[in-house]
Amino acid sequence: MPSTVQTSKGAAQGRPEGGGFTDRFSMRTKRLFWVWTFLALPVLFYSVIRFYPTIDAFRLSLTDWNLMNKPKFIGFENYAKLFSDPKFWQVFRNTFAYLILGTPISLLISFTVAFALDRIRFGHSFIRALYFLPFLTTAAAMAWVWRWFYQPAPIGVINDLLSSFGLMQQPFLRSTSQALPSIMVTAIWAGLGFQIIIFMAGLRAIPSTFYEAARIDGLGEWAILKKITLPLLKPTTIFLVVMSSIGFLRIFDQVYNMTTNDPGGPLGSTKPLVLMIYQSAFSSYQMGYAAAQTVVLFLILLAISLLQLWILRDKK
Amino acid sequence: MASITLEKLVKRYDKVEAVHGIDLEIADGEFVVLVGPSGCGKSTTLRMIAGLEEISGGELRIGDEIVNERAPKQRNIAMVFQNYAIYPHMTVRENIGFGLYTSSLSKDEKNARIEETGRILGLTDYLDRRPAALSGGQRQRVAIGRAMVRNPSAFLFDEPLSNLDAQLRAQMRIEIKKLHQDLKTTTVYVTHDQIEAMTMADRIVVMKDGYILQTGTPVDLYENPADVFTARFIGTPSMNMIPMAALAGKAGLPDHDPDILVGVRPHDLIVNAPKEGAILTISGQVEACEPLGPETMVHMRVDGEPVIATLPGNVAPPVGSIVECSVETGKLYLFDAKTEKGLGRK
Repeated sequence: MPSTVQTSKGAAQGRPEGGGFTDRFSMRTKRLFWVWTFLALPVLFYSVIRFYPTIDAFRLSLTDWNLMNKPKFIGFENYAKLFSDPKFWQVFRNTFAYLILGTPISLLISFTVAFALDRIRFGHSFIRALYFLPFLTTAAAMAWVWRWFYQPAPIGVINDLLSSFGLMQQPFLRSTSQALPSIMVTAIWAGLGFQIIIFMAGLRAIPSTFYEAARIDGLGEWAILKKITLPLLKPTTIFLVVMSSIGFLRIFDQVYNMTTNDPGGPLGSTKPLVLMIYQSAFSSYQMGYAAAQTVVLFLILLAISLLQLWILRDKK
Repeated sequence: MASITLEKLVKRYDKVEAVHGIDLEIADGEFVVLVGPSGCGKSTTLRMIAGLEEISGGELRIGDEIVNERAPKQRNIAMVFQNYAIYPHMTVRENIGFGLYTSSLSKDEKNARIEETGRILGLTDYLDRRPAALSGGQRQRVAIGRAMVRNPSAFLFDEPLSNLDAQLRAQMRIEIKKLHQDLKTTTVYVTHDQIEAMTMADRIVVMKDGYILQTGTPVDLYENPADVFTARFIGTPSMNMIPMAALAGKAGLPDHDPDILVGVRPHDLIVNAPKEGAILTISGQVEACEPLGPETMVHMRVDGEPVIATLPGNVAPPVGSIVECSVETGKLYLFDAKTEKGLGRK
């Protein structure tokens, strides 16, 4: 109804009017007054705490600010330095390794669990709670527990188990090749609960008659999954792909806490972009350089999200 | 095409028995409607025939074969659901074609079948649309198309018209009936709407609390209801039930047994009708009138009992006035007040 949209000027239809504080104003004016009264605080808060610093980061990325001096405009020097830094490209590769392996693996596992969990009644809530528990736990605490898991035998549980089966002990966090996957496992595990809950909600939203009709039409389990469940879960999947990708691109807590002696180590093999930004800003105090890195991260996040939405869009 | 036979069919959920050993024979090509209030076991019975519910006891035969343990797809039946169960992510063509998913036909043959089905149901122009772009009636036609395209041995309908508005429902009723006359496929149709049952069925099965109360043609059920429930369920407005005691001393009534309920259809109880040939004449105070156009339903109270009568034409008597109405001989239904079983007509 374009006409009502036009007259309400941004106030939603059918909301309470907020009482007649004076009869001098029209209903619409009163409604707008109340709406903006309530919106003022969050709008102000977000502007000062969120939007201003975000936009200011773009300005800072073009300066040489180091907390001490006044920021001086240096053009794209920070970006040039960043792109010629081999450490940045290593971090770039690491970040995409988290993304490209982490997102599909975590979605595959969470879908499988949700699909199975959707079909059982016995202990359903309990099992669901177990899967959700890691999501409620502090990332730092979890990271330290996992760090202990990965220790050499007899302290680390995993190596203990391996050696009790007569298998070779693994270096895990102390190896340049195993450290990144080891950290990724904990990140996947931590996000699983959330993804399972969302997938289950998506599965529950599919009417059971869809499955019954398919069974009567003679489809097997696999065909039902492929032809009905997965296509109908697409909106849920898009949401989770985007959320999970953003999560992996911004990974920090797990890496920082599991490699505290040498954050992002060994030899930078686990360092993601956010950790590099953190170090540039708060270890080296190169605020301008760090700002340039955040701008790069922002552009990557934007590009990946838009790309995913475009790939997974509804084809008409 | 095939006959369907239910023998002592039982459905139990844990300790609760929902369907208590019902017997029913559905002939090849017959249109049978299971009708009853919600919770009477009609949908459960249909779902047992479809293979969507396990059968707890008894025997189900399609054709000559016992199919108790057969998966739905092996029974070669097709089902239409109340919420259509057509897939929003597929076009009409793909939805109808879904019925042929397991068929061994070639692609061209399948396409020809889909086109033909679309033509019969008047969906030709919509074949490449998504269900979201269709009206409720069209969606239900797509669901019927998916069922038809396979040439199943029986159609099962589970309250297919309940989600449609009144006008569309009337239209689809006729469409489904015509379709059955053309295809002559055995059909089992579940509804809680007695009008659907009356208008569509070759035979109506009235169910209540997991039992079959009465089976018969629509006219048979209307004319000779076996008990109070069927008498009141079939026909609208419902049959008036007046205890014989309330009619004591009324002219023309043959006996005055207090254990008898007297049933009169509102359409047989005519206000201001001539009293010659009437078996019963009663008077009551008018409480409300519903003018319907060709006739007016008069709600009144006779000895404290609510009674609905018909007044031909449009002139409603004023509320509060006393009117007299009478019933012709042969239009009274007598029931035993205790067992609620029918005792014949007077």
